Order: sequence, then C-alpha cells, then structure tokens
Amino acid sequence: MGDNTIKVGEYIVIQKQNYKKLHKLNKPNSSVTVGKDSLNLNGIVGCKFYSTFKMISRSSKRSKEYDLELTEEAANLIDEIGLKVSGTDNRNIYDDGRSQKLSATEISDLKSDSTKASDIVETLITNSKTFHNKTEFSQEKYLKKKEKKYFEFIQILRPNLRIITETLYKLDPSKVQGIRIDTLSQIITLSNISSEGNHLLYDSGSNGLLAAALLSAMGSEAKGKLIHMHPGNMSQKQALLAMNFDSEHLNKCLSVNVYSALRQVYQGCDTHTQEAVLENESNLKRKAADNIEHESKIPKLDDSQVVDSEVKEVNMDDSQSIKKKPKWHFDNIAAAEVLTNKVDSLVIASKEDPQNIFLELVQFVKPGRPFVIYYSVAEPLQNLYMTLKSSSNVAALKLTCNWMRNYQILHERTHPEVMMNGSSGFLLTGYVLK
Amino acid sequence: MSFKNYKEKIDEGDTVILYLSNNLHAIEVRPEIKNKKGDMVENVYQTTFGALKVRNLIGSEYGSRVELSKGWGHVLQPTPELWSLTLPHRTQIIYTPDISMILLQLDLVPGSIVVEAGTGSGSLTHALIRRVRPHGHVYTFDFHDHRAKVAQEEFEEHGLAEFVTAQHRDVLAEGFGADLNGKADAVFLDLPKPWAGVTHAVNAIKDDGGRFCSFSPCIEQVQRTCSTLAQNGFQDISTMEVLQSELKVSRRTIPVRDLSFLKHKGSENPVEEKPSSDKSYVVGAWPASTPGHTGYLTLATLPPSFVRRKTKSANSENSNENTNVEDKSNSEEAMAVDENNL
Ligand SMILES: C[S@@+](CC[C@H](N)C(=O)[O-])C[C@H]1O[C@@H](n2cnc3c(N)ncnc32)[C@H](O)[C@@H]1O
Repeated sequence: MGDNTIKVGEYIVIQKQNYKKLHKLNKPNSSVTVGKDSLNLNGIVGCKFYSTFKMISRSSKRSKEYDLELTEEAANLIDEIGLKVSGTDNRNIYDDGRSQKLSATEISDLKSDSTKASDIVETLITNSKTFHNKTEFSQEKYLKKKEKKYFEFIQILRPNLRIITETLYKLDPSKVQGIRIDTLSQIITLSNISSEGNHLLYDSGSNGLLAAALLSAMGSEAKGKLIHMHPGNMSQKQALLAMNFDSEHLNKCLSVNVYSALRQVYQGCDTHTQEAVLENESNLKRKAADNIEHESKIPKLDDSQVVDSEVKEVNMDDSQSIKKKPKWHFDNIAAAEVLTNKVDSLVIASKEDPQNIFLELVQFVKPGRPFVIYYSVAEPLQNLYMTLKSSSNVAALKLTCNWMRNYQILHERTHPEVMMNGSSGFLLTGYVLK
Repeated sequence: MSFKNYKEKIDEGDTVILYLSNNLHAIEVRPEIKNKKGDMVENVYQTTFGALKVRNLIGSEYGSRVELSKGWGHVLQPTPELWSLTLPHRTQIIYTPDISMILLQLDLVPGSIVVEAGTGSGSLTHALIRRVRPHGHVYTFDFHDHRAKVAQEEFEEHGLAEFVTAQHRDVLAEGFGADLNGKADAVFLDLPKPWAGVTHAVNAIKDDGGRFCSFSPCIEQVQRTCSTLAQNGFQDISTMEVLQSELKVSRRTIPVRDLSFLKHKGSENPVEEKPSSDKSYVVGAWPASTPGHTGYLTLATLPPSFVRRKTKSANSENSNENTNVEDKSNSEEAMAVDENNL
C-alpha cells in the first residue's frame, strides 16, 4: 500500500465511465485497447492513482488512437451544457429521424474538428428541432447517451479484490467459473479466513481469483500459508498477480500441483520428475476431455500484452526449473509439511466432481474447522450433500445460492437495473468433525 | 477467549457453539453460575436432547462429540458466522450474506482502519475485527449507552479488545471525533439517517481516499444518502441487494406413470392405473418461504483529497442544482444559475 503512484511492472485499472479494464503496465509507453480505442499510456507513470486523463486524438480524421493528458477533472456533460428549456411531456416529439438538422457527414466533420465533447454535443443540440421540447428527464437521458459516445476521459485506479472480481466477471464469467462477487465474498467469510492459520484451496481454474481473495484476506502479515492446489502443470495466476502483492505477501501462497503435493505427503519424498507431472496432466486431459479448461489455453483479458507477459514468466519458470532445483520442488515440500500438521480451512472450487477431491482433502482439515465447496450448478453439490449427510462427520451442512440485484437510484427514477445476472453458483458449507 | 485464536481444546471462559441436528447454541463455558438467589450453582444447559453439564466441556476438543442426557451434539469454536447465528439480540442484526458483501465492498484487509455506527448487537463488528486484525482497528459507536457498554464488555470477554474500540456517541450529532479525522480506510453506517453521517465520513476518511457503505432497509433512505454522497464528492456510487437462500437437499422417489401401453390393442383398459415404477432423484428444493429483503447496501468511493477538492469546488457552484434534485420547487432558481454559467 503506502505508495500511491502508478509504476511500471504493476497492474493498473483503466476506467472509462462504467467500463473497467485490468492492464499490466509493462513499459512506460505501451498501448492498450479500451473498447474500440487504442490508448497510448505514455505519461501516466509517476502520476497518482485516481488521476483523470483526457484522451487526445492522435491524428485528425476519425482516428481511434489517443494520447493521454493529465487533467484536473472529467467533465460532466450535464454540468457543462446545462439544461435550459425543457418540455413537460413528450406529446410533441416525433421520432421521424428528421429532428437533427445536421447531416451525417457534417456530424463526423464536427467530431474530428472539435476538441471537446461538450462542443460537439452543444452543436448537436443547437441543431436539434426537438431537444428543447423534450422533458428534462429525456434531455438528461440524451446527454448521458452522448456522454457515453463522446466521453474522452479515463481514470487510472489501483486494482483491488473488488475491482478485479468485477472486471473478470464482466469480461467472461466462465473465466472465473462463474463465481460472482457475492458468492466470492461468502467463500472468504464462511471459510473463516483471517491473518491466523493455514488454509487449503483447491482451484481448477478461476484465473487465480480465489487465491487472490484468500491471500488478500490473510493479509501481508499472515502467520500461516495458503496452499493453492491445482490439477495443472502450473497454476493460473492472473488475478493473483493483478493484486500487486509484494513478494513477501505473495510467498505466503504455495501454488502446488495436487498430484505432486499429495505424493510428497504420502510417499515422503519427491519421487517424481517434472515429466511425471506432465504425464499425469495429460492423462487427466484425456479422461476429462473438454470439460476442463487447461493451462495451455491461458485465459486472456482481451489484451495480447497481458498474455505475452504471462507467457514470458511461464517460460522463465520452466528454464529455471531445468537448471537448479525449481521453486515448485521447495513449495511441494513446504506444502506437504503444512498439510501434515493440518489446516484451518478448506475451500474447493473445482470443475471436476467435487466429491473425491473433498473426501481426500478433508483429511487434512483440523476438527471443528470450516469448509466451503463451490460449484457452478447444484447437482454435484446435492450428491455430495447426501454422501456427507450419511457419513455424519460434518456439522451444519448447508447448500446455498445467492440472488443479487443492482439499483439505479435517481430522483423519482429509482428502479432495479434492467439487466441482472441470474447465476451465482452454489456453495456447500459446513464444519469438519472429529 | 475462543474468538481470538484457533484452539484445539475448550478452556473455561470460552464461548462454544453447540451444534444439535441443525440447531446452533452459543454457550459460555462456566462450570457454575449464579442462580436467582445469587448463590453459585452447577451450570446445566438445557437442550431438546436433554441436559448438558457445562463443566464437562472443559478440556474436550473442538469438533468433538458431547453427550447429552437424551442424545448427543458437537461443539464448535465460534467464528463470526456462527456467532451471528447465535448471539443474543439487542437490536436487529446484519447476517453473513450482507456482512460478506460489506467486507469485500469496503476493500478491507488486515491493517485497515474501519469506523462503524451503530454497534447494535456487534454482529457485523465481529466480522470486521477478524478481517482487519492483527494490525488494523475497528472503531464502533452506538448512541445507546447500555449497548455500547455491553458491546465493549463482550469484546473483552471474547479476547478481541485490542482490535476494537466501542464508544458511546451520537455520531450523527457529534461526528466520529477529532481523533479519527483522516484516519479511516472505510466507514460503515447502519442507522436510521445515514445521509446525515456522510460529511462525518468525509472527515474520518484518509487523505488517500476510502470506501463508504450504508445499510438501509428503506429506499427513501437510500435516495437521500446517494444524493448526499454525490454532493460530497464521492464517485462510483452504487446500490445493491444481496439475498441468500438455502436449498433443502433430499432424496426423492417419485412415481413413473406409463402411458405408452395404450398404443397397443389387447391391453385391458383400466381408467385408473397405478404408477408402474418409481425413479429416485437427489433434489434441492427451494424454500416455500424465505427472507425477501434485508436491506439495501449503498457503496461509494471517496477519492484521494487531491481529486476531491476540485470536485467539491465544482459542487459548490452547482449547489443549487443539487438541491434541485431533492426539492423540485427550486428548479427556477437552478435554471437562473445555469444562465449565469453561460
Ligand atoms: C440495527 S442496529 C445495528 C446492528 C449492527 N449492524 C449489527 O449487525 O449488530 C442500529 C444501531 O444504531 C444505533 N444508532 C442509531 N442512531 C445512532 C446515532 N446517531 N449514533 C450512534 N448510534 C446510533 C442504535 O442504537 C442501534 O443500536
């Protein structure tokens, strides 16, 4: 924390109106695409987070390339233009497509000649036959729409769990196994994660979101470790890296292959080689066919740059692992030691059937401690519920799902938002008994 | 003291959660308690499965089975989630689905400083403490003298006193106190007029900025709070509702009715045929009745002061327009200001 300036090598969030994008700032003057626009990030390094930048078109005609210029504050069209005269209802408004006096070419010329969005919109309004007859409400709505179209400001924010969760989910819920923010928030609380204790996570593909969430709640001064088990050859880390944890904090997370770690626990020594892991991996691939998304398809944030940097890191890891004892070798040993002494919580978010995974991993959980199992649909958890109910070594077993709704709050125009996401996934929670 | 660290065994003075086939009870482990006459007597806890001699809990392991006179149960170490389900209610409380969202939305991590009002029954406070400890702190306020006092005592009994300060104070009238100016990473309000606490929240939040959340059952409270937040330079203002439902899982065997035989001649023609077989399913049934509303969560970010000052000055120019939002009768005046701006 502490330092509030934008730095090379860290992840940043680019916010343009309601749209947020995660981006790794690899070089001071790199470009990033935001919607249809390409922004050159030159000049943002060293600025404070929350700074607002104006998008300046690079070359005149209809270019989609922009430079950024630090600015005091983003303009608000409604404030800048102001609403002077408005009608009381829309009885005199005809939507005949002829209300705008300017032609399409005139408008596009206007776009490339003007420096301010408010100038463009002012001209549009002056040439509109109907704008002044519109109700104040529809005028505002019109301006909001235009603001979206001609808005030319971005704000740079510091990534945190809330923003990363929202951004990844908006991009594509399937990249995070459909774990919605409300469900994620409950995974963290119901597993009782805090700066105390050692915690075990099995995650077969949420792009590191769960590890990021748990490690964030454990904090930089956590005494224990987070064991992050995954079935692949290397763990998905996108969200974890986007948190910009310092290395000491990040090192509290031991990312281990589930086969290697359990072999280390049960067979005491590191008998396998990297090839063995790979072999297991491809076996699983063959068996589970298309159901499981593998590391080979490292999910991307519709941004080639982010992916590039990820791949580079991967390659580096691999080349190191050939030369000397690789990091995963030590991580396996450390993880096995933590498991042998047992952990204080278990979180599973798998694409595979959670039953076997749970029954194996629950053996490493101390009595009285909570577990949380996430699955995107209810049936696998219902079956597991029946199994656990009959074995009676868990307490307070509960299968839950969530409903969440956002609201538009405006004077006399308050209502639930038109779009809502209907799928939260399901949680099976309980406590391990002796 | 069983709230502070993970424990293996139950000690005298711990609070334990007794789990009895879907019922949870919080029990303070004291071998003896005072009876009505003020004499110390054996502490016996009565349950639907008979009596529990509380003394016998001492030394047994968390997660283990305990014998009752007519059955058995299990003892668990309290977590903030179990506590929310078992705590003595002194007020309405916030439950885990909302609490979880509040913690995530307030960007709380260990080390954060968070201000809360009112303390109420301390349901949320326990979860806040867990999230910000060991080097963060919760400042919680209630204008109800007794509630503030009981809460502080409870935190001490739970071994959490070093992470929390509970004070008796009317925060809407007096703010959070000069000591907290510019100290907080987040402010949370669960009281009837949250909008009146917004300027106090601005004072309490760090120069680097922070998050604000209020929990309100009624939409009118939300509307006033949102417009006050906008006037005070907050950004990313949003309002949401979170509800959790529990599915009842069971195995159901349902009859299968065969109709296909009717296609063929020769079969007898019964009007009422018994179902020919059954099929078994594991089902998750939605509850017939389930909470439909708890409260609206209103969230907002107060940006760092270098951004804020400008927003504020811009806002004071527009202050007429803002009052306009609340009071339509001012609209003429607001328009006059707009003309001056031209
Ligand atoms: C609904 S309760 C809070 C419950 C709490 N969030 C919990 O989860 O246990 C509301 C509390 O706010 C307190 N309160 C109301 N107005 C207040 C004010 N102006 N200053 C301080 N406390 C206030 C009340 O005394 C009451 O205890």
